[in-house]
Amino acid sequence: MKGVALCIVLIMVLTIASSLTAQITDKDLLQPPGDDWLSYHGSYDSQRHSVLDQIKLSNVGSLVSKWVYHVPGAGGLQSVPIVVNGVMYVTQPNEIYALDGQSGRLIWHYQHILAKAPDREGPNRGAAVFEDKVYFTTTDSFLIALDAANGNVLWQSKIAEASDGYHSPAAPLVAKGKVMVGVTYGDRGLNGFLDAFDAKTGDHLWRFNSIPKPGEPGGDTWAGDSWQHAGGATWLTGSYDPELNLLYWGIGNPSPDFNGDVRKGDNLYTDSMVAVDLDTGKLKWYFQFTPHDVMDWDGAEIPVLVDARFDGKMRKLLVQADRNGFYYILDRATGEFLHGNRFATQLNWASGLTPQGRPVLVPGIEPTLTGTKVCPSSIGATNWMSPTYSPQTGLFYFVALEGCGLATKNTEKFRPGGFQYRAGGDVLLRDDTWKVYVRALDLITGKQVWERERIGSTSLGGGLLSTAGGVIFSAELNGEFVALDAKTGRIVWHFNTGQPINAQPVTYMFHGKQYVAIASGSDIFGFALFEPEKLSGD
Amino acid sequence: MGTGPEVVSAGHALYNRTCTACHGIDGGEGERAPALVGDRRFFRLSENSIFDTIRGGIPGTAMPPFSLPDDDLWRIVVFIRAMRGSASETDVPGNAQQGMAVFTGKGGCMQCHTLNGRGGSIGPDLSNVGAQVTLKHLQESLTQERPIPADYRPVKVVTREGKTVEGIAKNEDAFSIQMLDYQNKLHLYDTNELRQIVPGKTSLMPHNYDKVLTAQEYQDLVAMLARQVHTTLHVHQDGEGEVGR
Repeated sequence: MKGVALCIVLIMVLTIASSLTAQITDKDLLQPPGDDWLSYHGSYDSQRHSVLDQIKLSNVGSLVSKWVYHVPGAGGLQSVPIVVNGVMYVTQPNEIYALDGQSGRLIWHYQHILAKAPDREGPNRGAAVFEDKVYFTTTDSFLIALDAANGNVLWQSKIAEASDGYHSPAAPLVAKGKVMVGVTYGDRGLNGFLDAFDAKTGDHLWRFNSIPKPGEPGGDTWAGDSWQHAGGATWLTGSYDPELNLLYWGIGNPSPDFNGDVRKGDNLYTDSMVAVDLDTGKLKWYFQFTPHDVMDWDGAEIPVLVDARFDGKMRKLLVQADRNGFYYILDRATGEFLHGNRFATQLNWASGLTPQGRPVLVPGIEPTLTGTKVCPSSIGATNWMSPTYSPQTGLFYFVALEGCGLATKNTEKFRPGGFQYRAGGDVLLRDDTWKVYVRALDLITGKQVWERERIGSTSLGGGLLSTAGGVIFSAELNGEFVALDAKTGRIVWHFNTGQPINAQPVTYMFHGKQYVAIASGSDIFGFALFEPEKLSGD
Repeated sequence: MGTGPEVVSAGHALYNRTCTACHGIDGGEGERAPALVGDRRFFRLSENSIFDTIRGGIPGTAMPPFSLPDDDLWRIVVFIRAMRGSASETDVPGNAQQGMAVFTGKGGCMQCHTLNGRGGSIGPDLSNVGAQVTLKHLQESLTQERPIPADYRPVKVVTREGKTVEGIAKNEDAFSIQMLDYQNKLHLYDTNELRQIVPGKTSLMPHNYDKVLTAQEYQDLVAMLARQVHTTLHVHQDGEGEVGR
């Protein structure tokens, strides 16, 4: 009997010991980014502001590359590394790698085998973690859960039919035991949605449809049966307010992208910010940035959540620099439009915003059969590269593109099976005025405080990270990884990674050392402050 | 005629009678002719072209034409294909359901191996093993001491503070080591942080399953493992077995 009791105690001890390895709790996910970088945006508010300050303005000049990991067979990586206790998880389409965050050495690797090779289309933007699991999505639209310690697959759940053309590129978002995943492509006439799965079991919990059906609220914003092939992809990771229990997700463009004649109406909820209840998936409010968009200006840009004083009282704000060239401040509890101003110098399609935030259109500035100059171009005045907000400076930082396109439309028809359904396009007018900038706006007034041109970049490139060390890290398409003074935009450090950067930087701390990491081309780089190497030797 | 176990067996007998004068036994290298089984990527000949090669020989080489009845030639082809194919492509006799019982019970395999999302992690995940290795490899893993796979080497380290950690080395070089301990926890060390690194000499994988299991249990276990191919884990279709292809 005593032996049995001892045995039970031993089993309990072993169980407790193994449960200690379950790492990430809900409480951890509520913290601002510090030692770990636990999600695509680093935290639910998507501020991308780390509390780490070992690397700071006074020493950032001695930042050096500590390691490089070459991701085998990688193209242009867009993965944001997730870091837990020094273990880094990075992805490329259908593959996930666990790396040692202090040496860049491989720990394990998993490849999702596709049933059909053509499903391999990029990109993949990263993983998510919760408890003892790591999650990522695939180009044939599966959500896969793996044991974070060893990479063994625990379950996989189908999000959508790959044969229809769906693909899930965004990093999942985990909140309160649910894993949220989005889909693309809105440029193929595929209707978008946001799905929630049970983080433990992979069971499907709810779906929010980006495109309302006839008879549903918003269904009357689509002429005829145009709602059937309407777009509204959910291709970037959203934000979450745990107090309001609301998810904020930017919705992509309507289909076909450039010819609005076949889909008269405002085309909800394309180009909108939607607030969705985490428990039910039901819409709480929406705000549409670009009603009846004809320029592929997805509203998918990152919603950044900030609590700040506005008009004399503290408010829960949601700010977004939109692809259409305007900067918006919304009340994130109600969706009320509080402020908007244009940040793009080259903007000819709207003369301003109404008191409700609706753009005032300039007649004739839209795609035509022969071509019309529209500013910004279809790439947008900003895009999916992450912005950041620093509570230290009160500034909102983002990547801006000044440029126009010669926009045309045509009569391309929808074809099932995942074919392009854009019905037009624009020729990018890359003249002397075509320029890329990092811009800092005053959070509340939207006024520009400084800008720093990304000289030599032909398009937007990677995104931004701010730290308590007073530094903004900025990842450029020309391969330069740059540190800027958050107050002034002055360049304080740079490193040429040698490949175009199309990803977002992160920072983390392990064994007392702060690292900054970024995916560049086919490689992952880890940076830390220089110190002479101590080798044990023989 | 098919490609079933009895055809493979008949082909095996014919092969040993006819081919091993030059080629080695069981597909290995012989004294006068190359191995017929090896790394799969070197063998892309279709079954038809294997058939033609045996019947017609390879002009200009020592490979002669064989005037066996066509059915016997096909039996040899089926045997060669069985040797070369992944375990899941091979018809392995045995009861997979019983084999699963051995895997989860008497064999004790789940202490170290994961199968379809459940089990231990100190050995490789076997959910797709049928597609990854040949039947020969699978049988040898269960019955013979084999080289330790690179990312499953047992190791013990002692830190400068005197803490001992035991597990397997997922990766290692002169400057760092990445370990998974027996409680499924990762440990990342700069070698400067370590006083001692003691590599284990032998694989943690037992290799006496042909002795500790009955012949039937062993065959059932092999049959079950050979059918493990990675299909959708979470959503099972009606009528599909636990190991559907």
